[in-house]
Amino acid sequence: MKSGLEGQSKDAVHRPDSREAILPAESVRGMRRRDFVRVFMAATVAPAAFLGQTAPPPRPELPAAAPVPWMRGINRATPVPEGAAAETVAEAEVQFFTSTQMATLSRLSDVFLPRIGTTPGALEAGTPAFLDFFVGESPQARKTMYQDGLDWLDTESKKQFAKPFAELETAQADRLLKPWLRTWMTDHLPREPHAAFINTAHSDIRMATVNSRAWGEAPDTAGRQPTQKGLYWSQIEPDMCWSHPGANQHAAAPR
Amino acid sequence: MAKEIVDVLIVGSGHSGGMAAKVLTEKGLSCLILNAGPIVDASKDTEVKPAYDLPYRGFVPPGRVPHVFQANEFDANVWVDEKEVPYTYDPAHPYNWVRVRLFGGRSLFWSRQSFRLSDYELKGKSHDGFGEDWPISLADLSPYYSKVEGIFRVEGSNEGLPQYPNGNLIIDDSPWSGSMARFKAAGASLQIPIAKQRRALGKDGLASSVNLLLPDAFATGKLKAVPNVVVRELSTDKNTGLVNGAHFIDRLSRREMSVKARVVVLAAGCLESTRLLLNSKLANSSGVMGHYLMDQMYGSGLVCSVPEARGGKGTPELMGGSAIVPRFRNLGTKAPNFIRGYALNVTSQRGPMAPRNFAAYGEELQKKLDLYHGSGFMITLMGEVLGHYENHVRINKDVVDAWGIPVLDVQTKYGDNEFNMARDAVDTSIEMVEKAGFEVLSKNYDPNPPGYSIHEVGTCRMGDDPKRSVLNKWNQSHDIKNLFVVDGSSFVSAGWQNPTITLSALAMRASEYLAEQMRQRSIG
Repeated sequence: MKSGLEGQSKDAVHRPDSREAILPAESVRGMRRRDFVRVFMAATVAPAAFLGQTAPPPRPELPAAAPVPWMRGINRATPVPEGAAAETVAEAEVQFFTSTQMATLSRLSDVFLPRIGTTPGALEAGTPAFLDFFVGESPQARKTMYQDGLDWLDTESKKQFAKPFAELETAQADRLLKPWLRTWMTDHLPREPHAAFINTAHSDIRMATVNSRAWGEAPDTAGRQPTQKGLYWSQIEPDMCWSHPGANQHAAAPR
Repeated sequence: MAKEIVDVLIVGSGHSGGMAAKVLTEKGLSCLILNAGPIVDASKDTEVKPAYDLPYRGFVPPGRVPHVFQANEFDANVWVDEKEVPYTYDPAHPYNWVRVRLFGGRSLFWSRQSFRLSDYELKGKSHDGFGEDWPISLADLSPYYSKVEGIFRVEGSNEGLPQYPNGNLIIDDSPWSGSMARFKAAGASLQIPIAKQRRALGKDGLASSVNLLLPDAFATGKLKAVPNVVVRELSTDKNTGLVNGAHFIDRLSRREMSVKARVVVLAAGCLESTRLLLNSKLANSSGVMGHYLMDQMYGSGLVCSVPEARGGKGTPELMGGSAIVPRFRNLGTKAPNFIRGYALNVTSQRGPMAPRNFAAYGEELQKKLDLYHGSGFMITLMGEVLGHYENHVRINKDVVDAWGIPVLDVQTKYGDNEFNMARDAVDTSIEMVEKAGFEVLSKNYDPNPPGYSIHEVGTCRMGDDPKRSVLNKWNQSHDIKNLFVVDGSSFVSAGWQNPTITLSALAMRASEYLAEQMRQRSIG
């Protein structure tokens, strides 16, 4: 049923940067020379299937150091360079909110989630800039809710305190925000317009902050909500044609 | 070049397709599985990461899977992309169609709750006059349930209740935590029984087609499985009217191909099997195909706190464990404004509380989170949705998927029976937790949109009358004797129970019947 060759070519689709060993170490060590030679020859028959593969051979059978066919130089033994996240070295550019909206959102973020003890707050987590990106990428309903909600907060602030929301004391902000706080269950945010915005923004600001690098790398304290950590799924064999402009036309031919 | 004709073509590789493949290959029949998505290899497709290493800090990438409320950024790539395979609905009545096309389908991700239907569901019409009885009873299904429970290693308790039939279980006789014992006593004072959860232990933390069913099928040497092929339509023999194979398209290259088979078994999931039959214009002489779409109503419930567990006193003796409150309405008595019933999922939890349970922010919220940590007690609803002819799916000829296949238009909504049931469930839950002395922090009466439970059933229902049903009691088409549909689309009523164990038992039963018919040469 399943020949050794099939087993090899399946392994060959492993990305070279995969942390998983392509072959268990034991099986590499235990691989008899004859087997290795067969696999190696199979690779020359079907080079495409062998790209990126590359179990290092058992010791005495090391192939010649050079020349190696030009597309087979990089292999599992090649060191993987260490990458850094852009946000660790760069500032995000504000693209979506106006400067007034951004100032309101920053003050709101600080009121909702200030630094508490050793746990960083929303501002240190870069949450306002993240939300500018996230909301700016979002469907229109979320964009409108944020834009209208931030504008409304600023207007109310000017009406009640004669200054922009961004300049309010916390006690003043409390008077605008607290009447709209609700408890709610997952997927069922309150529906009243201001309550919908206030509770959504609170939830988003918390999640963006708790899941930030600053929060995740701060010392753990009792009762602190943990940064989400989970099994991330890559795209699995993504559709090659779909992102292509002609894809739909190509596929839509009725039988 | 002529290819050998396989005995049975199976479309789909989830629990129903996997079960069909296991039973049929073990009876010596050659099978071919076609699956619309790729094979998963967790060692290369997954990696543990913190949310801050993802572009959206754990938020679902905007616009990707707006109807998958369950999705987050970690798993956004496992769900069917709604742009790649769209579906349509009336904007006033949204539908959440939650799909996985990976090899193994949704069996890779299910919650593993494993319940039998009772004759209150299988013979619902006889009990209350609504809908139709199934053409089979619990006695017919019981031997298959037992075998399926054995394969899935279902753990739970046997309570001897007619509405909650005993099973072939690994008995859970662990003691109740203090909070659960108080809840159970509160239930007893209202004549509401409370039982241990029933859950498939499976193997290595998974109870999927790919680890419990398909390995046995592959071991026979009789199964071939092709990933990444999307079936466009079934083909028929013009002389006999029987199905004789399928046309499909390579998901990645768009190459069109076809394959021949003596028998076709559809197991693509309720709505995909129905879509394939509607697009093939087959097996619908009754006109009921696509109708009677049902699922379970989820989303309503409560979050509570156990006062004695606050301030760090939520010990393992007091907190923890889960329970099921099996249906208790409309058995001996009659509820005033709804028929059928619901179950409640109950969880006692020692971990952090979600911030949304407190109308507070900043330091005030943190103090609440600290105080309430480890005192959570949650109840959520699983309610039976009634099967109405009006709740249906049909082909939308104006919209096609990435492979040019016309998509489904879903026309369904919940009615008064569902909304009244949800209200009763939440009010009754409040009554129970207040008797138990717990504090209600949040509650929600509104169900999630239809489809959310990922338990869609009913669009090719079974029955004895070919004018009123698509399939007979063996999951076999009334119209085309070598066509079987073994997924949840055969359901006549939804019940409150997760459908997996029932559809697996039905797939096993149908496959044994099919194998016997093929042995006798009356099919294929």
